[in-house]
Amino acid sequence: MVVYKSFTLLTKQYNEMILITEEIEKAVAESGIQNGIIAVISKHTTTGITVNESLECLESDIDHFLKRLVPENYPYNHARMLKSYGSTAGNPTGHLKAHLTGNHCVFPIVSGELVKGDAQDVYFCEFDGPAKRTISISIIGE
Amino acid sequence: MFIDIHVHPAFFEPINKDEDQTEFRHNTLDIHRNGTAPLEHIFNQMNCAGLDRLCLLPEDYTTTAGRAVVTNEEIRSLVDMAPDKFIGFASVDPLADHCCEKLEHAFTDLKLKGLKLHPSRQWFYPSDERLKPIYQICEKYNKPILFHSGLSWEPDTLSKYARPIEFEEVACRHPKLRICLAHFGWPWVQETAMLMVKFPNLYADTSFLYFDCAREFYTRVLTQDIPVTWIDRSLRHQVMFGSNNPRFEQIRMAQAIQELGFRESTLELIKGGNAIEFLGGLD
Repeated sequence: MVVYKSFTLLTKQYNEMILITEEIEKAVAESGIQNGIIAVISKHTTTGITVNESLECLESDIDHFLKRLVPENYPYNHARMLKSYGSTAGNPTGHLKAHLTGNHCVFPIVSGELVKGDAQDVYFCEFDGPAKRTISISIIGE
Repeated sequence: MFIDIHVHPAFFEPINKDEDQTEFRHNTLDIHRNGTAPLEHIFNQMNCAGLDRLCLLPEDYTTTAGRAVVTNEEIRSLVDMAPDKFIGFASVDPLADHCCEKLEHAFTDLKLKGLKLHPSRQWFYPSDERLKPIYQICEKYNKPILFHSGLSWEPDTLSKYARPIEFEEVACRHPKLRICLAHFGWPWVQETAMLMVKFPNLYADTSFLYFDCAREFYTRVLTQDIPVTWIDRSLRHQVMFGSNNPRFEQIRMAQAIQELGFRESTLELIKGGNAIEFLGGLD
């Protein structure tokens, strides 16, 4: 059996890490699937999904780490008008941070429960906010 | 007070209940893949940009596109949803029937704060005699006009109608009418500066971002094509911050305008003081 659902967030900051672990656990419980896997996938190219320990200090360190790797003031080629959008593409840093973070995570489901480590939480990472964002969830199993 | 004098609300969610109208807006404005924006998102965006007010501009393209992209009534409804955040402008098609009555209605009944006109899209020269009654109504009600000027990205637009020099006769013949050349008349920014230094009733906004990123393009245009000193010494009461959102990037432009080296007092004028003068006050 495959269960698909999605949920939407309105992010509030330019760069922001939002915990979504509870939404994922809720999706597993509602699916009725006892054994399988869950894939959580962002529908966007300037956001990320990552698994890490939910600590304020680490959130700050990850933010600073990405800002060092991908500085705002740099001559990115993506900074130009995009004809297909009819608008400016000023978000190269968002694309590059998303490239580093990845757009999904996967967990096993055993006996109807999400299997994750005690320190693991799932973050949705906004790299070009504020924006309306959608996250897909596919649960595959029996 | 930080005001964005140039915002198009065509994709604000409350006025996009009809999918056909939303599609018409995408095609007429040539803005795509941006989705519709709940007001909560607009407020989040304002918060990130540090903006207090947005000036919402409609577009009446009755003659050239068959109807308005955003109507004056829709602007009124949006302002009523957030009167502490939104300032509403009117639009009329100056070549359409009953445009004067429509403008009177917009100023008296809908209480809109000014008029937006787009010579390139509405296909008229600003000095066209047919515009005279429109200008007289704006003078009668002491309402400013924000004209599109310079390059327009929209389809079916001709830049010849909106070159800055075409506005000289309006500024000269109507010295009490406050007019703004949007987009600073880019690429003819020195022509715009020439008109501004000559006519104190002529303003310009900063809603241009046709190349590069906001920091790079603002640096190029507002510190090199036009030296910082021209604005900081002579034009400081006539430049207003505008983003042309959603085509351009409001948050990064709001950040970039503050990093160009203007005196703090000049920056305060660009951010809000000049817009308040242009609008004739905020009340």
